[in-house]
Amino acid sequence: MATRILPRLSRLAQHLFLAGLFVFIAAPMLVIVVFSFDANRFPTIPWGGFSLDWHRAILEDAMVRDAFLNSILVGLGTAVLSTLLGFAAAYVDYRWRFFGKRAFVLLVAIPPAVPVTILGMAMLAFLSRLGLFGRLEAVIACHTAVASSFSMALIRLRLNDFGRDLEPAAWNLGASHAAALFTVVVPFCRPALIASFFLSAAVSFDEFMIAWFVGGVHETIPVRILNLLQGQVNPKINAIGTVVLAVSIALVVLAQWFVGVRVGKRTDPT
Amino acid sequence: MTGSPPPGAADRPGSFFIGSRSTAGSPAVFPVLLGLPVLLWQLIFFAGPLVFLVVITFWQVKSFRLSPAFVADNWEKVLTSTAFLRALGHTLTVAGTTTVLATAIALPAAYTIAFRLPPRLRDFAVAFLVVPVFSSYILRIYAWQVVLSPQGVINGIAGLVGIEPLPLLGGAFSLQIGLLTLTLPIAVLILTFGFAGVDRTLIEAAENLGCRRSRVVAHVLLPAIRPAIALAATTSFLLAFGDYVSPLFMTGSKPPTLSIVVVDTVKSGSQWPRASVVGVSMLLILVAVLALGQLLSRRTRLRRGGR
Repeated sequence: MATRILPRLSRLAQHLFLAGLFVFIAAPMLVIVVFSFDANRFPTIPWGGFSLDWHRAILEDAMVRDAFLNSILVGLGTAVLSTLLGFAAAYVDYRWRFFGKRAFVLLVAIPPAVPVTILGMAMLAFLSRLGLFGRLEAVIACHTAVASSFSMALIRLRLNDFGRDLEPAAWNLGASHAAALFTVVVPFCRPALIASFFLSAAVSFDEFMIAWFVGGVHETIPVRILNLLQGQVNPKINAIGTVVLAVSIALVVLAQWFVGVRVGKRTDPT
Repeated sequence: MTGSPPPGAADRPGSFFIGSRSTAGSPAVFPVLLGLPVLLWQLIFFAGPLVFLVVITFWQVKSFRLSPAFVADNWEKVLTSTAFLRALGHTLTVAGTTTVLATAIALPAAYTIAFRLPPRLRDFAVAFLVVPVFSSYILRIYAWQVVLSPQGVINGIAGLVGIEPLPLLGGAFSLQIGLLTLTLPIAVLILTFGFAGVDRTLIEAAENLGCRRSRVVAHVLLPAIRPAIALAATTSFLLAFGDYVSPLFMTGSKPPTLSIVVVDTVKSGSQWPRASVVGVSMLLILVAVLALGQLLSRRTRLRRGGR
């Protein structure tokens, strides 16, 4: 009997452990949403009753509105540029061999591995020499340098499934390289391109160190949150947070929906 | 990278442009047209700033203005200052602790996801874990502040039961909570993909030979995913080592970590060279840690090849 019970207990323990971890990861997000509807000024137990005051308050806060607008502009710019550059990098890596290719791929892949504190400081120092400091365009440019890594990875993964002969077939039929690229390769990559668009928008929407250093007076929404947090307790933060959470979770979920995240091979009969 | 052209393609003279010699007028134009913008972009907005950061470490500040020079002064001053060394020691301890905790917690969780959950639930678990990797880190830290603060959620509940408020916020405990919030999702993801990539026939073979589950885990699974463990650990270290938000909001930057030192030095204005020295030192440490991670995962490969 004991030999049967022990594995069951062990399985139960494993599932409970995993559930505990998921609660740990989800709890902070739930806390934000729950307290954004709390009537109290200071978020704590017991709950002060349902209220939409704080959500209404952020609609009237010009700085928060501007920050949202800036974030949307930066997010859109980053999403477009990062997808374009990520596609170019992935395709160059897929199609050609050349001297220094490893360095080329690394140059696109590595930026997310550098702590944003250092990256932000370095970008501020360098861009202020170029006269690009304190502009939203600069934030877009820097976010693109980081986000294109994820775009390249997503699109390169998709290109792995692209038949090596399809393009030469198009060329043999008389298509130019550009025509083959736009009528064969790009349509094949479309799901990855859309996913890359949403994911790089999410990366930009979430990033605050680079935006803080490089953006100057132009605050994006996470920078606004950072500045609010360093001041007094502000019940608006939960309401802003709820909106930000909704947007960024939607972006990441959309990105995943288009690439279809899966663990392991599903074609196996096992 | 996988998916490179068939072997031999690059050896042939003039085959730079694979399979297209017959169609392209000037074969080198197209790849340059696609590759050059990417190259320039990353050089200007990524590599350039980092190289410039190294250059600044040798510059001087004269009457509150940064001026080009070539002196080792800044390095000497920073590397011998007790404030820097104390922050370095603190940051290494904190990041090391996070690495151990994150890996230890993520391993059983990833094992459960990869081997115990039905496929659909497994995909859902992975999709769930991807979300926090790309979103709302600063908000989640703020939420922990709300939960842990003296008048916060936990102490509110404790108060209802009649327990004295606990000092949860502002110490090593809350700092690790914050850093695990940052590192756990990605560590679990890396290890889940590691476990999922293990050849199932190896596990069946071990079980057929009479191995109990614990022996399968210790002698088959863990050695097989050593590269993934090394990657999860180095990623956790990298994130925890460079993080600015958790030390700031979970401990009120007391004692300061290196990231806090960097930001404070930059924001205070005139000490760019010294902030750069701290930044470049951090990068050098991270490069060393990444190399160590590579070494740890490569040794398995060699040993496996030798058997």
